[in-house]
Amino acid sequence: MRKFGRLALFVIALYVLQTSLLPMIAYRGISPDLMLLVTVSFAFLRGVRQGGLMGFSVGLLQDLASGTFLGINAFTRMLLGMFFGRFSDRVFKEQFFLPVTASITAIIANYFILALLMVLLGYRFNLVSSLQTMLIPMLIYQLAFAYPVHRFTYELDKKLSEKEKH
Amino acid sequence: MSNRVRKDKDSHRKLWAVLFVIVSLFCIIFFAARGRFQAPVSSKAALLVLSPFQQAVSWVGSQVSHVTGSIWEIVTVHEQNRMLRNEVEQLRVQNLEASEALAENERLRTLLGYRQMMTQFDMVGARVIGRDSATWSSVIIIDRGQKDGVNTDMTVVTEKGLVGHILEAGWNTSKVQLILDPRSSVGTLVQRAESRVAGIVQGDLDNPTMPQMVNIPKNADVVEGDVIVTSGFGGTYPKGIVVGLVSSLQNDSGGLLKIGLLEPAVDFQKLEDVMVITESREAPPEPIKPPAQTPGTETDPVAQAAAAKAADSAEENPQ
Repeated sequence: MRKFGRLALFVIALYVLQTSLLPMIAYRGISPDLMLLVTVSFAFLRGVRQGGLMGFSVGLLQDLASGTFLGINAFTRMLLGMFFGRFSDRVFKEQFFLPVTASITAIIANYFILALLMVLLGYRFNLVSSLQTMLIPMLIYQLAFAYPVHRFTYELDKKLSEKEKH
Repeated sequence: MSNRVRKDKDSHRKLWAVLFVIVSLFCIIFFAARGRFQAPVSSKAALLVLSPFQQAVSWVGSQVSHVTGSIWEIVTVHEQNRMLRNEVEQLRVQNLEASEALAENERLRTLLGYRQMMTQFDMVGARVIGRDSATWSSVIIIDRGQKDGVNTDMTVVTEKGLVGHILEAGWNTSKVQLILDPRSSVGTLVQRAESRVAGIVQGDLDNPTMPQMVNIPKNADVVEGDVIVTSGFGGTYPKGIVVGLVSSLQNDSGGLLKIGLLEPAVDFQKLEDVMVITESREAPPEPIKPPAQTPGTETDPVAQAAAAKAADSAEENPQ
């Protein structure tokens, strides 16, 4: 239970950081997506089940708190958490290169799933210009923040697993 | 062996559970977007839990940006002063013309017996405490809620123009849907007296910083640089709030309509303080007063203000 509390606090802290402080460094309204980074890092460390669960709860928090289309973040984050969780038993946990580069794949996948949902919801947009204005700044931000977020998640995960063993 | 079978069964069950969750989420997305489904209490609860953290962190952030802003201002003060002086010169000329027009307007109104209707707004000031990355929707969180009299669908403005409306009011915080959001649509007019063309301003997914005015007929009198104000149609937004300037016009893909890209009046990248219009009512006009000038500067036209005041009282007295 305490483990859950700590994780929840960590996620809430990151969410607050993302919504209250990071918009100050936003480029044309686009700021880094820490929630996606947490999901990917956690999935790499903990596997499909917990990765998916983390993605779902983080996405739901974001949907409820931010007032965007309800459910879209829960949906994409859960899928991505489960997908990246598949790799968890194939990489060393101490290895940081893969999770960090995976965040790029994650943001691209996230972008396209959301774009597909938007089209299904009936919103039309020009994919090429949207790619330029949204995806490229997002990619740069994600790359910059991927390492610190993964590092934090890794340390927290290590502490939590140590407690589990005792 | 038995272990294996159990595992298979287990994974089957898990697969079904996951599929169920995915499909139901998919349904929720669509029902919610069509307005058929709302997360009843949970969304307010999330707002309530997050609000103290968001308020604290955004307070720290605003202090930091205040400090850096002050430093920058000190550095650029000379240049700024020069520009402001220029602007004061221009504005003074404009001001003179405006007061002339105002006086004329007043005279003509009394001549016509036109009942002057000015809307007066009751407003609540609010601070922006949260904002999600503007990718597919643009919503901000402000630090006022139902306890301050803020409710769903109220209009949110700054002194420069329209910001959006309240999407959902929590107890002490609310979500504001910006006019940049693709879900938002505002009934608008061209402000220019010869034109008064009506259109709808919607958020644009292609360019999340500029909304677009749609449904303009192809031969309508809209040119670049026109000021767009709210029309009051639809009832959510009161009439006459500035939305933005037309920065460019494009042809709609259908061929019969034009689309105007708007430069919003409000700088959405630097949104810190907003005001919520809690009530708007018709009110009698206030007597005309000269606008306040910065005292103590050499551009302070004391004499002019005094003259305007004298003219004002002279006009008021006969009535």
